[in-house]
Order: sequence, then C-alpha cells, then structure tokens
Amino acid sequence: MGGHAIRNRIRQLRFDHEEMTQQDLADRIGVTRQTVNAIELGKYSPSLEVAFRIAAVFGVPLDQVFQHEEK
Amino acid sequence: MSFREKSAWISFVLVGLVFAAYFFPMASGELRGARQLHWYLLVTIAFIVLEVVLHIVLALQSPRDAKTPKDERERLIELKATRIAFWVLMTGALLSILTIHLGAEAGLLATHVFLAVVFAELVKFASQIVFYRRGV
Repeated sequence: MGGHAIRNRIRQLRFDHEEMTQQDLADRIGVTRQTVNAIELGKYSPSLEVAFRIAAVFGVPLDQVFQHEEK
Repeated sequence: MSFREKSAWISFVLVGLVFAAYFFPMASGELRGARQLHWYLLVTIAFIVLEVVLHIVLALQSPRDAKTPKDERERLIELKATRIAFWVLMTGALLSILTIHLGAEAGLLATHVFLAVVFAELVKFASQIVFYRRGV
C-alpha cells in the first residue's frame, strides 16, 4: 500500500484574505501560532474539528484547504 | 520556539542536572546511608525550586503563551512522549526488581528505581522536543 500525504493551501488562503497572520488564524480557530505553522508545513495533520474551523474562517469547502495525495 | 518547547527544554536540562548531581557521587561511592538520603532530598528540592523559578521567568517573558491552554497538537505531543517514557519506566522498574536477585540491598534498589524514574523523565522531555521540532 502506497504512502499518502496531506497538502494544504493555508498559506495561500491567508495571503488572499488580507494577508492574515498565523497568529490571527490561530486565535480564530483556537490553537497556538506554532500549531498553525506546523499545519502549514505539513508537520501536523489537524483534527477534523480544527480542519473545518480553518475552512470556515476562509469561507471555503474543506477540500479547498486540504488535499489528500498518493505519494 | 514556542513557550511549551522552551518549557520542555528547561525540564530536560534540569532533569539531566539532577541525574548528574545525584548519580555521579553515588557511583563514585561518596554517598552512603543518611548522607544518601540527605543528598536525595537536597537534589529533589533544588529541582523543584529551579523548575518553578525558571518557569516563572519563562511565563513573564511570554505571558500570553503561558496563559493559553494546550491545544490539540500540544496535548498529542505530551501523550506520545508520556507513552514512550512509560515503557522506559516499566523496563527500568522490572530491571530494578531483577537486581534484588543479584543481591542488591534496599538502598541500592531505591537508587535503581530513582534512576529509572529520572531516565524516563529525560526520555519524555527529549521526545517532546523531537516532536515539537520534527512534527507529530
């Protein structure tokens, strides 16, 4: 069975939303700035709850924030 | 570096210092009987005081982070690190029991168990640091 990776567009979405900072996003979804950074860098896959909160902040469906890719 | 990663570094270094301060004199045979107990108490109290003081200083440097509750990633890191440390502690405790059968006395057994506890704590904080740096 091949590996998989979860990519995300959070950095781009932040840029598109008036260059929202990681701290602003972190405050709105209830995590630390370091956790937002870890998610952006692919070092941490958030829970569904946090993933939906991120999508809600940007007003887009979940699959426009996170994409599942086969390696 | 986040507040909680700094906290893990402080605890890792302090536990390492406790390890060195307690076990090197023990290994060299300088401490026996009541002196061993006094040294154990002194080292433990010094550890607690230093932990509290350094964490107060850290909290004063970043009061906002200190007040923020742990989020899901930080809780996961703590859980994973504790799980690894649990197995280290279990192994150390079982090996300590084995030393009885090799003729270890009660004092030496206590030292072995304390060694297992300290080593497990070192592993826990080291694991936390690795998870913070490399991801979880």
